Amino acid sequence: MCTSTVCNTKKQNLFNPPRRPHPPHLIPSSTSKPLRLGPGLRHLPPSDIIPTVAGQLITNPQKNSMWVEYNNNRYLPTPGDLILAQITRSGPDLYYCSLSPHTPLATLPHLSFESATKKTRPQLSPGSLVYARVVLANKHMDPEIECVSSSTGKSDGLGELKGGMVFDVSLQFARRLLMSKSREEGKVEVLELLGEEGLAFEIAVGRNGRVWVGGEDLKAVVVVGRALRGADEGGLGVEGQRKLVRGLVRGMK
Amino acid sequence: MTVTTAPEAALGVLPRADGSAKYSHAGYTVTASVNGPIEAQRRDEHPYEAHVDVIVRPAAGVGSTRERHLESILQSSLTQIILVKNFPRSLIQIVLQVEDTPENDYVNTKLVQASLNFAIMPALFQTAVLALLSAGVPMRATATATAVAIVPQDGTKTSVVDPSPRDAEIAQSVHVLAFTSHDELLLAESEGDFTVKEWDDVYETAKQVCCRPVPAKEGMEMVLDDEHTNGPDLRHFLRSTMEQKVASDLHWK
Repeated sequence: MCTSTVCNTKKQNLFNPPRRPHPPHLIPSSTSKPLRLGPGLRHLPPSDIIPTVAGQLITNPQKNSMWVEYNNNRYLPTPGDLILAQITRSGPDLYYCSLSPHTPLATLPHLSFESATKKTRPQLSPGSLVYARVVLANKHMDPEIECVSSSTGKSDGLGELKGGMVFDVSLQFARRLLMSKSREEGKVEVLELLGEEGLAFEIAVGRNGRVWVGGEDLKAVVVVGRALRGADEGGLGVEGQRKLVRGLVRGMK
Repeated sequence: MTVTTAPEAALGVLPRADGSAKYSHAGYTVTASVNGPIEAQRRDEHPYEAHVDVIVRPAAGVGSTRERHLESILQSSLTQIILVKNFPRSLIQIVLQVEDTPENDYVNTKLVQASLNFAIMPALFQTAVLALLSAGVPMRATATATAVAIVPQDGTKTSVVDPSPRDAEIAQSVHVLAFTSHDELLLAESEGDFTVKEWDDVYETAKQVCCRPVPAKEGMEMVLDDEHTNGPDLRHFLRSTMEQKVASDLHWK
């Protein structure tokens, strides 16, 4: 499970201390699809499913999947994740990018950009920022990322991000922002509220807990970043977010 | 002179660490930070599993051989419960800072070089487990630890749970035991003179403290239980601490 766009999830208020086999009635049972285990769960053959982290068990009978929802601070790359990576150096045919501090660098081949050839490839200098997708995340190898969809050859919005600012948020908040129904399911409304206030900005959310905000108006960029960080650190509900955004926008004018 | 206080813990006290915990019990206060999985130094790298690095810092002075000894004990027992095979070639770093130790009222101690002994082990171990849970490091099981001393008193020997420095000083033997949430013995370290019979008694006492079954319903039964058991219910404490953390993390659910 790498995307968090799951509809009609049934949730249990259940705390899972590691090593406590799940009672069978909580496991979704569908005969047509194989059971999919997401983060935080471990399968011990033949038939034990055991949580490995503390969190809330969430099951989705439609997709026949289950996972543990929890918050941590260390990003672990998973194939398909959209992330914000910073180029640290360039090798002979690939860039080395950092996804999170003190972890092995991810590789980004020079040719993984839209319509890139040996001669027309983007020249990225150390420190520049790219919005990319994780292609390969294997525990024995360094992760590999790409800025182009390998099936269509289109960039789909991925690539270098110029200007703007980067803000760090918690991994959980980044996941909430990336939900397709972030307003209903993630209970995060900051971006919509800022848009309603008339602010113009661009935004790219990386699952590695980084948010890039760009735009013409630097003031608006800072306000957006502060609103996101405030909503994340304060653990604000919808009402609290509304109040925060109103206060920040008023202070800006 | 036993300091009879219920254990207290706070999670996520250090904002920049991946996980952190502050734990105080029986006069000891320890703060732990956990970072990981991060890139390991070349000499610590293991091709198939994560290296668990434990650093114990005393309240005063710099660590010496005693601390190295405690570190090696903690390292080997924590490696057992962390799923180290999930993160080959990486490092999980646990730093334990002792903040406060109970004073021995019988000896005029001047705290220049703190000499740590086995009585502090449960506090160090418990803090490390809490910090690992807070960091979301995948684990096989949680664990609880306690120290038991055999103290001669009026010609007979009594076992004291969580001995005070005075108890530890006059004790014939001090034992540290840790159990996983599976009721498996994880760690058993002893110092001093004791018989097999005494060790068996210590084992039973420690098991009662560490592995008390979680009550199905709170109420009368719990009150009755408290009368004929000694020591705090560590497993219940660990569980309720984590439940609080999960509830505050997932406030938006």
